[in-house]
Amino acid sequence: MSTGSVRVDPATATMISLIGSLADNKGALGRRYGEWAVSAPTIESAVAAAAMAQDELGHARSTYPVLAKLGVGEFGSGPSAAGHGIEPDSPKGIRPLQSPESGGVEPDSPGPEESGLDTGHPMFVISQELPDWASFIAANLVVDGVLTTFVAGTRDSSIEPLAQRARKILQEEGAHRVHAEAWARRIVAAGGDDLRLLVQRIEEMWAQAARWPGPDSDPGYQDAIAQGMVRDGPLAIRDRVRDWLTALMEGFGVSVSLPEPGDWSDWDPLHRR
Amino acid sequence: MSRADETVWEVFARKAYEEPLHHVGTVTESDEDLAVVSARAIYDEQAWIEMIIVPRPSIREAISA
Repeated sequence: MSTGSVRVDPATATMISLIGSLADNKGALGRRYGEWAVSAPTIESAVAAAAMAQDELGHARSTYPVLAKLGVGEFGSGPSAAGHGIEPDSPKGIRPLQSPESGGVEPDSPGPEESGLDTGHPMFVISQELPDWASFIAANLVVDGVLTTFVAGTRDSSIEPLAQRARKILQEEGAHRVHAEAWARRIVAAGGDDLRLLVQRIEEMWAQAARWPGPDSDPGYQDAIAQGMVRDGPLAIRDRVRDWLTALMEGFGVSVSLPEPGDWSDWDPLHRR
Repeated sequence: MSRADETVWEVFARKAYEEPLHHVGTVTESDEDLAVVSARAIYDEQAWIEMIIVPRPSIREAISA
């Protein structure tokens, strides 16, 4: 596969896609967290949202340069505007919670040079402002959970710059997980419509976030595991997040449906969705 | 969402091992874990080496003001 300027093996191409998309999603997550820094239910959570936004934006900025180490153009610390160097370009911008494929609309947005980190190709569920606090907590649980589980599997990556960043990211993500779990507990205690909305948002987020690692049979991903670039395959990542989230919610007496993605016929390995 | 049942947590921190813990402020949370997250987020202006939180109801006055 070509990255435009250099040719790479399937394992490296997969890691370029994963790392670029990881940074894109962390940039988007940072923006989404930051938007709630002035409107969270409590002043304490507003400050926590701002701190988490700073963390995520920092993770994005520190992750993009790893792409350069893999031979992808000049990335500096900006968004992977050109499809992580593997593809010239594709539509990007603000999306509804449902993806365009499921009936949503994907309107135009400014190009990456105009709008900083809020670009690239994040999951649709975090590519626009989160409509309610339940969405924030669901993103905190599910999207952050999937991305962090992937990062945990790169702590000892043979791609040393990635491993270095993973260790720093995981330190900070510990607080994000505590925040997500504690808020889930609080919303469960509140019950009623708050709880119903949280369960709905978790399941919506899962439908897209679970696809992010891709199909378990991806040969490039399997090669990347064999070469020590990443420890956990897509199925292992999903299982880990599902086990944690299911146990968490069942501990509160709440069940959530987190099915294994079944249809990969429209899988886009470049944008990971 | 009601905050009537929330606890005030007193926050203490220090910047060096040879220093005692100083009172730096409070956070209000019903959940202990959220109180920890909030304390770290709100009082992050210094490079603390230690921060603790104490639920206000657990404090006993030795001398009343």
